[in-house]
Amino acid sequence: MTDIAARSAAPAPRLEISRRAALKLFTGGMAASLAGCSPPAEKNMPYVDMPEGLVPGEPQYYATALPLGGYGRGVIVKAVDGRPVKVSGNPRHPASLGSTDVFAEAALVELYDPERSRDIRGTQPINGWTEFLGELQQWSGKAKRGEAPLHLVTSTVASPTLLGQIASLKQQYPGTRWFAYDPLGGAEGARSLIPRLDRASVIVCLGADPLGPGPMQIMVSRAFIKGRMPESPGGMSRLYAVESTWTLTGANADHRLTLPPDKIDALAMEIVGRLEGHPGSPLPLDKGARHFVDEMIADLQGAGAGGLLLPGPMLREETVQAVLQSGRRLGAPFDRAATFPAQLRPEPFAAFEEILHSGKVQNLLLLDCNPAFDAAPDAKFAEALKKVPFAVHAGLYDNETADLCRWQLPLSHPLEAWSDLTSADGTVAIVQPLIRPLYDTRSQHEILGFYAGQTAPSGYDTVRQTWKQGAQDAGFEDWWRNALVKGVVSGRSPQFALSAGNTETSQPAPSQPPLDAPADSNSFVALIQPDQTIYDGRFTNNAWLQECPKPLSKGTWTNAVSLAPEDAAALGASDGDVLAISSSAGKIEGPLRIDRGQARGVVGLTLGYGREGAGAIGNGLGYNPRLLSPGSLRNVIRGIQVKKTGRRAPIPSTQMHFSLEGDLRKLLPEVAPGGSLPASGTKPSLFVPPPPRDPYSWAMVIDTAACTGCNACVVACQVENNVPIVGPDEVANGRAMHWLRIDSYDIGTAEEPRHGFEPVPCMQCEKAPCEPVCPVEASVHDTEGLNDQVYNRCVGTRFCQSNCPYKVRRFNWFAYNSGQEYKDLGKDPMPARNNPDVTVRARGVMEKCTYCVQRISGARRDAEKADKPIADGELKTACQEACPTEAISFGNLQDKGSMVNARRADPRHFTLLEELGTRPRTTYLARVRNANPKLAGGSA
Amino acid sequence: MSAIVSGAQPLPSAGDAVRAQKVERLTHVDTIDAVNTLVSGPLLDRRRWRRWWIAMIVASLLTVLFFGSMIYLFAKGIGIFGNNSIVVWGYPIANYVWWIGIGNAGTLISSMLLLTHQHWRAAINRLAEAMTLMAVAIAGLMPIMHMGRPLYFYWLAPYPNTMALWPQWRSALIWDFWAILSYLLFSIIFWYTGLIPDLATLRDRAITPGKRIFYGALALGWRNSARHWHIYQTYYRTMAALATPLVCSVHSIVGLDFAASLMPGWQETIFPPYFVVGAMYSGFAMVVVLCAGVRWGLDLEALITTRHFEIMAKVMLMAGTVMFLSYATEWFSAWYSGRGVDRRFLSFEFTGAYAPLYWIMIFCNCIAVQAFWFRSARRSLPAIIIISILINIGMWLERILIVWNTLSHHYIASMWRLFYPTLWDWFVLFGSLGFFAFLYLLFARFFPVVSMHEVKELVQREATS
Amino acid sequence: MAQVFKPRANTIALAVLVSIPVVVVLIFAINYQLHASPYATLMGLYVDQPVPFSHKHHVGDIGLDCRYCHTGVENAAFAGLPPTHTCMTCHSQLFTNVAMLAPVRQSLATDIPIAWNRVYKLPDYVYFDHSVHVKNGIGCSTCHGDMSKQPLTMKEAPLTMGWCLKCHRDPGPHLRPVSEVFDPHVPDPQNDPQKAVALLRHYVIETGNMTDCSTCHR
Repeated sequence: MTDIAARSAAPAPRLEISRRAALKLFTGGMAASLAGCSPPAEKNMPYVDMPEGLVPGEPQYYATALPLGGYGRGVIVKAVDGRPVKVSGNPRHPASLGSTDVFAEAALVELYDPERSRDIRGTQPINGWTEFLGELQQWSGKAKRGEAPLHLVTSTVASPTLLGQIASLKQQYPGTRWFAYDPLGGAEGARSLIPRLDRASVIVCLGADPLGPGPMQIMVSRAFIKGRMPESPGGMSRLYAVESTWTLTGANADHRLTLPPDKIDALAMEIVGRLEGHPGSPLPLDKGARHFVDEMIADLQGAGAGGLLLPGPMLREETVQAVLQSGRRLGAPFDRAATFPAQLRPEPFAAFEEILHSGKVQNLLLLDCNPAFDAAPDAKFAEALKKVPFAVHAGLYDNETADLCRWQLPLSHPLEAWSDLTSADGTVAIVQPLIRPLYDTRSQHEILGFYAGQTAPSGYDTVRQTWKQGAQDAGFEDWWRNALVKGVVSGRSPQFALSAGNTETSQPAPSQPPLDAPADSNSFVALIQPDQTIYDGRFTNNAWLQECPKPLSKGTWTNAVSLAPEDAAALGASDGDVLAISSSAGKIEGPLRIDRGQARGVVGLTLGYGREGAGAIGNGLGYNPRLLSPGSLRNVIRGIQVKKTGRRAPIPSTQMHFSLEGDLRKLLPEVAPGGSLPASGTKPSLFVPPPPRDPYSWAMVIDTAACTGCNACVVACQVENNVPIVGPDEVANGRAMHWLRIDSYDIGTAEEPRHGFEPVPCMQCEKAPCEPVCPVEASVHDTEGLNDQVYNRCVGTRFCQSNCPYKVRRFNWFAYNSGQEYKDLGKDPMPARNNPDVTVRARGVMEKCTYCVQRISGARRDAEKADKPIADGELKTACQEACPTEAISFGNLQDKGSMVNARRADPRHFTLLEELGTRPRTTYLARVRNANPKLAGGSA
Repeated sequence: MSAIVSGAQPLPSAGDAVRAQKVERLTHVDTIDAVNTLVSGPLLDRRRWRRWWIAMIVASLLTVLFFGSMIYLFAKGIGIFGNNSIVVWGYPIANYVWWIGIGNAGTLISSMLLLTHQHWRAAINRLAEAMTLMAVAIAGLMPIMHMGRPLYFYWLAPYPNTMALWPQWRSALIWDFWAILSYLLFSIIFWYTGLIPDLATLRDRAITPGKRIFYGALALGWRNSARHWHIYQTYYRTMAALATPLVCSVHSIVGLDFAASLMPGWQETIFPPYFVVGAMYSGFAMVVVLCAGVRWGLDLEALITTRHFEIMAKVMLMAGTVMFLSYATEWFSAWYSGRGVDRRFLSFEFTGAYAPLYWIMIFCNCIAVQAFWFRSARRSLPAIIIISILINIGMWLERILIVWNTLSHHYIASMWRLFYPTLWDWFVLFGSLGFFAFLYLLFARFFPVVSMHEVKELVQREATS
Repeated sequence: MAQVFKPRANTIALAVLVSIPVVVVLIFAINYQLHASPYATLMGLYVDQPVPFSHKHHVGDIGLDCRYCHTGVENAAFAGLPPTHTCMTCHSQLFTNVAMLAPVRQSLATDIPIAWNRVYKLPDYVYFDHSVHVKNGIGCSTCHGDMSKQPLTMKEAPLTMGWCLKCHRDPGPHLRPVSEVFDPHVPDPQNDPQKAVALLRHYVIETGNMTDCSTCHR
């Protein structure tokens, strides 16, 4: 474990070096544009004492884990000169399986965010850790004497060490109370189950979004696609989605029915009744819907134990429990997410609000959570919090909640600190730091250590303590080293200091009121869901996630208010009109998006926006739906009024046209299971490609049937290739820079709208239209078949892009990454995130996907040094690596056994715009729809 | 070499002649002296330039705007224009094609009409050539303003460098580079040599020594010797013979910028000829406007007569009809090809976001000009001027629509996007017009706007016949 | 009328006309010469260093191997500069208090690296990898010259793109057996066609992609 040693004993110059390198990189683009005669004088700084195992400029890889909604996903992080530059999945970790999601990919940007809370903030600016510890001592004293018991508020906690520390705090200070909440809210039961979609043959989602963003997204998506492959045992699974607004699951469903939340809840009970064999009175539905429901239930019953009924968090807790019980009885394929001993269960947020408003709270620690924004963004809560004499907030950012607290403690980023994380399926991974904390921050464990009275707590020791068995534990060091290398803990369970004393179990989360108050005709029902790129608001200040287009609408930099076309028409509102949404408790305003295939009478809202304390990037974007019912954490709110404000705020979008009429349909073909596309055959050509002059001919095949539209590839590409962020205005100007885009098409019929996704990187055409038109040979073909884009040669005539039929090239209209960055993205240490293997492009230069040529070149150089060829699968592009469903395969065409060759032989294989004769190296497999023949529109 | 000194026709005193002519206006020209007076008079007399100064002030302001926005462009970056990642081309390209088109007419007139013995050209070829010169110069600036990294524009030239790199000869832009360059150089030489005899006249009629030296130096020692004239004529006709194919090639190559692509609406074999005609069309229209201006400004009614305008109107009528035919051909081939993308493109042209502009363009380029079937329209100066201006607007619209329609509505539906111009787009367009006027006014101030020696030739012929 | 010009005006006019094209040609020629000259490439330039380190002494006289200090050269893109500790392995015994070495001792004491002045500088958009060259039979002296004769370090090559391409187009003559790679005295290029072919085979060199833009630019 030399590298661990190296890291913990990293010398000061090390950070300097990485900063310098970053700065050099950062100015690289500029330098590229200066054709000065004599190069500027430059200094070379070696180490004074080189850390062992580190080779300057060569990457090192460490296994660790990143949290999302409290749960962990195993990752492997690449560091160059001690500077983390890329996050990718950990194949050994069941919640990652070697893939990532958008949040893991964008985590680096959070680490380098110049607006992270850097120093401890008290009442006066001069306050430092010592002042804080002094004050803490007094309060701990009071807590011991029971005068001011400690109140701890967190979001979901799945770190054994943290749980252990909380448990021991409870023992140390009697009367200590711990409250935890999930900002997503909704029915807890629905969130804490793991659907085993690979084992299901018929899946019915009732407002559930298993493929949507969340700690389980990767593993569930992978399982889903496993069950979708025509060759999968028991044939290809069929997915029904019954939902009120569009979700990723709905977009990937074979059949989709839209109903308002109340009806879905009732439908759930009806289905359960019929599965259990005691059908009640059927829910009144219109003819089409009723037919759909009956066929669906028949299909579900036919599937037997392969049938899976998934309740969504939008349903009432009671309904969810009923569904789960019947599911268990029928042996439906799902498991319960990781759980911890009863003593370690927190109290719900409602209980905290109660005691807070009663004014009894004096000693309060809010650990890495932001209730003043994501739970109770109302004045009452703020007032009460301000009154707390010793309110301490510990977090990455000095956020809304911190502003109301006496102390803000800067928290170390998960990439800077020691910890451990349980994933949703129960696997534990050790979190190890990739870099020494950039600022004077502490980890969660160290802060709780302070509360436990330790003077110099060390996260490293605390975590190790959790896993040591007894004082003398012979095998520990080996086990520890192994856990670090593998990134997965095995053969041990955490040592909790549990006393039989405190065993208050949690009350069930406050369930939504029963359906006695049906939504009246002139009022709407608001349905709140996590945002597909911002999630619950933790990532609001993350520009990479902000600019990442929402999978279906392609909107960026704000959340929208979605309405059914009929409702919008009734309001006389059109896309981009600002609507005022008001409930009895509050009022919000947001831009309208009209969604075909959304239930009438439903207002679709998403979380994560409307922040004031996020930072320069995230402030003032969108609205915060929690304002409609502060403190309740509910996701379905009735009696909503919707009005036009008369103002307009068009949503910056990366795609304008969604429908595929006429022969445009061939852009995204679809077949039935086992179906095939008409073989195009090779037509006679005057351009007979010359025999390859090189052992490698790279090609990519993308399976559109496997693409769930999760966007992981988009962000992975952006991080790997230093693709700049342009900001909302430029996105609105149509200047988004993503090299890899996911086209989202509306491929459904009038009665049953459906969505299709198609990732489009550069096609790397063999007869590339972009090459002959470039006057300076900046766009040239190389012997491996790539279209190289030589940034330092490009003069920016943009002929290549205007002649590109696929429109995959992107132009630096401004120096987005080299002097004219959006807001504070140019500030230190942000440039340190740049990948040193990729040029930072200058202003006025065209750029595009090159199959991650830096990776190809790296692999080639290694192969040439070792005098052995590159094996299939050994070399992965960033998008391929990230894809949770392995929809992207990449390899060498001359290697007969390679995956790409196999997929190119697939009957579903097709080429985009084949008739143009551009001979793309990037090709596709057609979508597959496993329709129920008995249902209308069942013919794929 | 003493000949350099003595002028062609020894006159008593140039000054007297001018003063004599100052007051009353000539209605028609019958003597060589009258020509000299009429054309060169203004150049040598300081007191006749009020209108000129007014025009000059306006033009200068616009010129400042032009170079102002150019500086801002280079400082801030190409992003100040309305382009986006899909419609990557915009105003500079349209302006470029438009100016080049205008630039074509001048040489066409002087060379083609010279070869076909159209003697009427004598009155207007000089100012047409001048127009060419300036239009081409401005057109040359546009691609540079269009580039992302203008400071490297010279990479398009095959110059020896330590990178061991050369331009990419398959690119239409390289052909363009050469086309513009050679055309610019050629027009300068052609125009200048055409000036020499007149410069000599000016030299001899100049009053102040300053002017005498200025014009004398430029006249390169021209004296009306038969030998000079012999060499001159042969040389001038040869140049004219060279000019005609060159003119055609230039705008054909501009057409290839688009035709040598595979985008719907661009990839059309008809483009080169149709661009040449279009160029001639807009060029003539511009000549008409300039003639009218100069004629009014310098009281040349006697030289530039309604007959000139009438002939040009006829030419425009012809060109306009050919344009109509070209459009029709485009529509037909798009429909006849049967390709979905081409037909979609066509319906986008007719009904899409830019359709109003498209119909305006059709009116300006095809409908309005049909008025010239009527003699009355051809002979009414206002009518001709208005229609010519419409034609110039229409031709500019044609160019911008060629760029917009294709780039906005292509193969991949997800990437369809529209172009919204910014203030800077307009600044550059109108600034360039101002700069053109600025140059033209300077020319009108210091050089004879009508080719005196050729008009004299005509006068001679008429006198003898 | 008085004379406007003297007879010599003709000659002047003629000269002016002729000189126009000549000047254009000259501009290109001079510009090229300028860029190829040491003025621009800094070739043959000795660079002052905080410590007047002499390769002549260490390599030539003592006979240290390149890899003793430049540890990365065989497995990394950067050959690497020795950390202060490497210097001190000897200089904690030898010349322990020579003024010349004060900066080294100071660096060790203060833990602040020695700031050497760069001699070989490539633009940031050029990705050069020492290891792959060394592993494929390109010797140090091919680009750095005979270090055993350089008291202070001098830039031996222009490092222009044309210069890189010369070798990438025809690597054969510049290859040498593994044993000679780190030998500073081996001349370059070696004009022995047979040997070149043999070495190309020995190192399994794919010349196909060696002149691809993507080989050096990304």
